[in-house]
This record gives sequence, C-alpha cells and structure tokens, in this order.
Amino acid sequence: MTAIVIENLGRSFVTTTGTIRRTQKTVTALDNVSLTVEPGELFGLLGPNGAGKTTLTRILSTVLLPSSGRAEVLGLDVVRDAKQLRPRIGMVYGGERGLYWRLSGRDNIQYFADLYLVPPEVSRKRIPELLELVGLKDRAEERVEGYSRGMKQRLHIARGLINDPDVLFLDEPTIGLDPIAARELRTVIADLHNAGKTIFLTSHYMYEVDALCQRVAVVNKGQIVMMDTPAALKQLVANLEVVEVECLSVSSEAINRLRDHPRVEAVHVDNRDQVQVLQIQAPGGVKYVPEFLHLLDGANIQKVVTRQPTLEDAYVKLLGKDAISV
Amino acid sequence: MISHFLGLLRVVAASFNMQAKERATNQLFVGTLLILPVIFTILSVSTYIYGGKADFGLYAVIGAGMVGIWNANLWTSGRIVEGERRGGTLSALIAAPTPFPVVLVGKSLSNAVVSLISMAMTFATGLIVFRLPLDIENPFAFIISLLLTLVAMTSLGLVLGSFFVLTRNAGAFIEVANYPIFILSGLMFPLTILPFWLKPLSAALAPMWGNLALGVAAGLVAGNPWLIDLYLIGLSLIYLLIARALFTQVEYRVRRDGSLETF
Ligand SMILES: Nc1ncnc2c1ncn2[C@@H]1O[C@H](COP(=O)(O)OP(=O)(O)OP(=O)(O)O)[C@@H](O)[C@H]1O
Ligand SMILES: [Mg+2]
Repeated sequence: MTAIVIENLGRSFVTTTGTIRRTQKTVTALDNVSLTVEPGELFGLLGPNGAGKTTLTRILSTVLLPSSGRAEVLGLDVVRDAKQLRPRIGMVYGGERGLYWRLSGRDNIQYFADLYLVPPEVSRKRIPELLELVGLKDRAEERVEGYSRGMKQRLHIARGLINDPDVLFLDEPTIGLDPIAARELRTVIADLHNAGKTIFLTSHYMYEVDALCQRVAVVNKGQIVMMDTPAALKQLVANLEVVEVECLSVSSEAINRLRDHPRVEAVHVDNRDQVQVLQIQAPGGVKYVPEFLHLLDGANIQKVVTRQPTLEDAYVKLLGKDAISV
Repeated sequence: MISHFLGLLRVVAASFNMQAKERATNQLFVGTLLILPVIFTILSVSTYIYGGKADFGLYAVIGAGMVGIWNANLWTSGRIVEGERRGGTLSALIAAPTPFPVVLVGKSLSNAVVSLISMAMTFATGLIVFRLPLDIENPFAFIISLLLTLVAMTSLGLVLGSFFVLTRNAGAFIEVANYPIFILSGLMFPLTILPFWLKPLSAALAPMWGNLALGVAAGLVAGNPWLIDLYLIGLSLIYLLIARALFTQVEYRVRRDGSLETF
C-alpha cells in the first residue's frame, strides 16, 4: 500500500482586513497538488516562504481540511477517516512553540503518551528510549522554558514519536538551529528513516534535502514545480557553470543586463552582511566572465569565482526570481 | 466499550494532573483563589450588616464562596483553549486521537477542585473577621451539594468555553458574562428581588441551583437538598451534551478556517 496519496489537493484561506470596512481576500496556499510517497520513503518538500509546505503538512496530519481534492495516508482519508488515522501518524513542527514550557521535558512526553493511550508498560520503556534518542536523557527533568532552541526541537521529535507512528511529518525541523545542532538532528532523522519509518519532511535547505531525501518535490506558490530524486534535480544544471561575483553596490539595471545576456540562464542575488553575491548560471560560464564583468561596470566588484552547480542552483533555476527568499 | 471508557478516564486524569502542575508554577492563582474571596466576603457581609440584616451572614459567605468558585472556573477554565492556542499546543491536542473535550474536562475539573480553596477562604473570613456563627444544619448534604455544584459549574464552563474558542477575545466576553450570571444566580442578592420574567433564565444556571442546594443544606432555606442535587446532576448532563455538540462544531470550524494557530 502507498503511504501517502495526494490527488488534486487545493487549499485556500479567506483573510479579512480592516474592522469597519471589511475587505476579504482569498489566498491560494495549495493549488492542485498531486503526489505519492512509498512506505519507508524519506520524501522532501522544498520551497520558499509561503509556498504551502506547512499547509500541506497540516492537511496530511488531519488538523486542517482541504478545500478541494483528497489525500490519503496509510490508506485512510485525512478528512473522513481522521479518527482512525491519528493514532498512526506523528507530526513535528519546527520552532519553539507547541510545548508546555512550564513542565519538564519528561512531563511533556508523558502527557502525550497518555493522550495517545500508549499502554503504560510500553511508555515506561519508550519514554527513556526516546529521550536517549534525542539526547535529552540528562535534562529530562528540567523545565522546558530553560531549554535551548535545539533541545526544544529535539523534544518535539521525541513527542512526535511517542505513539511509534508509521508515518512522521516533519515541518522544517531544523529551522533556526546552529549548524551543529542541525546536523545532529539530521542524524536522528536519518536513523528514523533507517528504522523503516515513512518520513515527510519540509525544508528550506537544499543540502538538508540532498543529504536526507530519496525524492524531492519543489513547490512554489502552492504548485509542484518539479518532483524527482535530488540527483535528477541536480542533472537540471549539470551542463551549467556558476559564476559567483561578490560586489558592494550592484544596481537592478546591471542585473537585468546580465539576465538578458544570451548565455545566462539565471541570476540569483544573495544579500549577505555587507555584500551582494550574484550567482550567474551559464553553460560554459568561465569563458564569459569578462563579458559579465563588463555588464556589471560600477558594481564595485570584490571577488569572482566559478564553481560546479549544486542542488541549490537547480532550485534557483526552477524558481527564478521566487527563489530569493531562500 | 469498557476499555474505551477507561482510556477516556486516563486522559481526564492526565489532563487533570497536567493542569495542576502548570498551575503550581503560576502565581496569578494566589490572587484569584486566596485574596479575591476574602475581599469579596468582607464587602458582601458588610453590606448586609450595615443594611441591618446581620442574620444574612451565612448567606453572604456562601454566595461569596460561589463567586470565587465561578470566577476560578470562568477565568481559568474558560481560557484554557486560548492558552493552548497561544502556546501552539492546540494543534497537537486536536491531532491526538482522544477527543479534545475530554482533555478540557480533565483540565477544568482540576481548576474546579482547587477553587474549593476559595470557599474555604470565605468561611474563614466569615468566622475570623466577622465572628459569624456559621452553623451548617446538614453538613453531609452540604458537602455533596458542593461537589455536585462543582461538577455543574465545570460543565457550564465547558459550554461557555466553546464560545471562547470562536471569539478572539475571551477576556472581554468573560467580563460581560460574569456579573449577569452572579445576579441571575442570586449570588449577590436574594433571588426574590429579581423580576419574574428573569426567573426562567436563573433556572438554567448551575450557580443558582448550587447556591440554592447549599442554602438548603445549611438550613437557610426550606426544602429538600437531595431533590436539588438531583436537578444539578440533570443540569450537568444537559450542559455536557450541549458542550459536546458545540465542541464538535468548534473543532470542525477551526480545521476548516485554519484558525488553530492564529490568534
Ligand atoms: N491560517 C491561515 N490563515 C490565512 N492564511 C494562511 C493561513 N495559513 C497559511 N496561510 C497562507 O497560505 C500560504 C502558504 O502558507 P504556508 O504556511 O503553508 O507556507 P510555507 O511553505 O510553510 O512557508 P514557510 O516557509 O514560511 O513556513 C501563505 O500565503 C500564507 O499566508
Ligand atoms: Mg511553513
């Protein structure tokens, strides 16, 4: 049986602004999304802010109703069979909210063990195991308010696993973590995958998806732009070279001139602290560096390098200007 | 069937405990449970004494205790959902396989039991500050009536709580709902001064019957306390059925509108 089946799923939100003269606006968060995930697969959903990743995860974990289309998890409809489905799935939202801060880590997990009616003889064994898995064994009796961000996020994972779910939804589990904490968390996720869990993961981070996932769907504005293996995604840019130009004051006209260059396929601007980094994708890019620099006249160039494309470049190519928020 | 019931009981007990643990870390409840009842008793009893009706002392003390219990119920239990929504835990509770109202029953009962402290405080104030002879005629009936009153008030709290989920500003709603309920229930003035057309409304309110049951058990009012207790049980059941229907609707609406996280 397929673990997750999504067919033509749509979801829109109606938002109201103003108090006296109320105006209503409809936002389409998901637009005709279809995909399937096999049992035991680690599937990644990649997309910029507002792409609809959280909306999709919430629908699949039964806390939000779709506006159109349908979705099944473990053969159960997420709307009609929500009751039978809930005990068999787990969901983890990234971030610090969603925990009882005034209680200890252990109390948080114990409470959810009770809510999921995990038999006491099972939870007595499972709770210490989960605390061990996420590395919170020694801090479990402390109140959550004193936990670091990474600890809270790991506690979320332990909580999401308390019912030993067959399918686990992870919505940006590493958001806001420092690189080491994020890597540790990815190890936990990889272990869960190796233990046979089906995992549906959303992320902002290319390398995270590249490192973990067997298949990826890139979403933008509620639609799937591409769905394949990370390797196939990278294939999209295999014949490209990337020229990275670091400069201090590039104008939008200069960027447009670059985009109009016949060999250039995409230009992505990264604003880092004091500098802007232009990522210019072009087949055989090295040869055109002098032409690019000429087009960038006056941009106060600090550094130029060329490199092989990464998954991130594939993402930039797919999303064009929308990739900016990544 | 039995295992299903035991499961629900487990969730009630876990939620009861959980609320107790959370409350233990919260200083605000000291004010509502310990200090407010004392102030309220002093005001209420003084009003009767200066009005030349000192024999209403016990009546005033019971009324003040009921106000304390009701306040704790409305302010703490009525806002549980709001708190969960703010803390981001509401989604996780809805996603759990146990019905959400069962969680609320556990948490509200926990608050209700602790609110008994406020009744103890009003009696203590009556005895110590005013040296009132607070003789309860039928202590056994009084205790049973008090417990049934707690259950009925908790159930009414659940009905009101379901409205609070849908309003963004439960606080304002509580302010508005609070005093009419005190007055309609006879917690502040004897019910006899109410116009007759308000009487049916009073009859639907748990605090009014709780107050009456306590008054009868204390020997202030003539009547059979057990009959009123029976009425309280019936009223609680009706409240619970209404609350269950409302929460089913509420859960559907928050899932439809995507308002589990927005506040
Ligand atoms: N409860 C809601 N009410 C109104 N609009 C909403 C609600 N939830 C999501 N949206 C809108 O739906 C769109 C998709 O949001 P969603 O949170 O799913 O994106 P996302 O991919 O998870 O973004 P991010 O990377 O920022 O977490 C956005 O435009 C968002 O504003
Ligand atoms: Mg999101």
